Amino acid sequence: MRRALAGVVGLTALLTAQAFAHHSAVMFDDQKEVTVTGVVKEFQYTNPHSWLLVDVKDEKGNVTTWGFEAEGPSTLTRAGIRKSDFAAGTEITITGNPMKDGRPAAAWIRATRGDGKQFDPRAGFAIK
Amino acid sequence: MISRILGALAATALTLTATAQTPSAEKQRMIDLGVEFKTARALYDHFKQEANGGKPLDWRSVPDWTGIWTREAQPFFWDPDQTSMTALPTAKLTPEHERLLKEKLDKVGKGIEFDPLSNCEPAGMPRWLVEPFLKEFVVTPLEVYLINEMQNEMRRVYTDGRDHPSEADAYPLWEGDSIGFWNGDKLVIHTSQMRAGQYQRIQPFYTEQVETVEIWQKTDPATMVVDVWAFDPPALREPWYTRQVYKQLSNDDASLRIRYWNCGENQNNAVEKTDTGTSDFSNFTFTDKDDR
Repeated sequence: MRRALAGVVGLTALLTAQAFAHHSAVMFDDQKEVTVTGVVKEFQYTNPHSWLLVDVKDEKGNVTTWGFEAEGPSTLTRAGIRKSDFAAGTEITITGNPMKDGRPAAAWIRATRGDGKQFDPRAGFAIK
Repeated sequence: MISRILGALAATALTLTATAQTPSAEKQRMIDLGVEFKTARALYDHFKQEANGGKPLDWRSVPDWTGIWTREAQPFFWDPDQTSMTALPTAKLTPEHERLLKEKLDKVGKGIEFDPLSNCEPAGMPRWLVEPFLKEFVVTPLEVYLINEMQNEMRRVYTDGRDHPSEADAYPLWEGDSIGFWNGDKLVIHTSQMRAGQYQRIQPFYTEQVETVEIWQKTDPATMVVDVWAFDPPALREPWYTRQVYKQLSNDDASLRIRYWNCGENQNNAVEKTDTGTSDFSNFTFTDKDDR
């Protein structure tokens, strides 16, 4: 029992302010990760959340647009993520916690741009 | 994540227990100070009497509270001393409000959670104090503006000597009605007329009777310390004292700026309360084939 409790407490230490701006994160499955590779369709740099839309092509050539949710512009700025970092057409591999209901959307955890630069949107909560 | 943790607690048949941590001597002194007074107004008047009524600022004595600030503690808890989700908050809740809190936590543990903020409502006071994101504090001789980026929530603290509106003209306000005075470099605030709400998502509820007393002091160039007593007889058996700390963020390239916050500007952020009482996105634009 003590070990179980320690595990739960340990989890709390890892908590980030994920999806904290204006809604609960219950719609995302925080125990799963989905990673897709595609090209940026649009970077919606908005409050209370930003959305990075990525067009992902399957082997048959069908395109699905995925939406990756992050915090708003000020938190992304603190994480070093500018609107200009993801112009339409930018190649990207991006990872997030997927929606529980299967819709092509996720809570954005990390991304690597085609040029190799990495982005961590949750770093925006660090105080520095 | 929160629901999974609380769900795990339920699965292991653990029950939430009172925070075991013993308050520091300094915190206990502040708790005891609040308990001495029956109302927030009485505590505020005590501080004002101690300060001989306070001394108004002029433009030469306005303290430098400029910069961009954010709360130091993680946003989940009202009291920064609560660091575990396995503990109840440090508040001394009335039985009814302890029941309401446990009922809420039980639902969150089952994945049922909806925050009125999802309706684009402001957090309001006193929740304002613990909302994340950016804050600005603007001091003028007769009025102080305390600004939270989220929902453009600005509190106005009148330090020109006025009192609150009469009881007959009072009505619940998102940020309440705040009056204050200066005791040297300390700003003392009394806030009343607040709307009912919750201290944070997994924290207790407060009623329309909640009133707060705050003492704000910049203790070093990058630290703002705020001592807060919340009085709310229907919800709290005694005043809930906490110390909130805000840190100034480095902004050497001036890239951090507070912009107008339009909660409804992006349809992809629309969240609705489902039939089961939890939260879900209403309708994404990017899954609509006509939008391609």
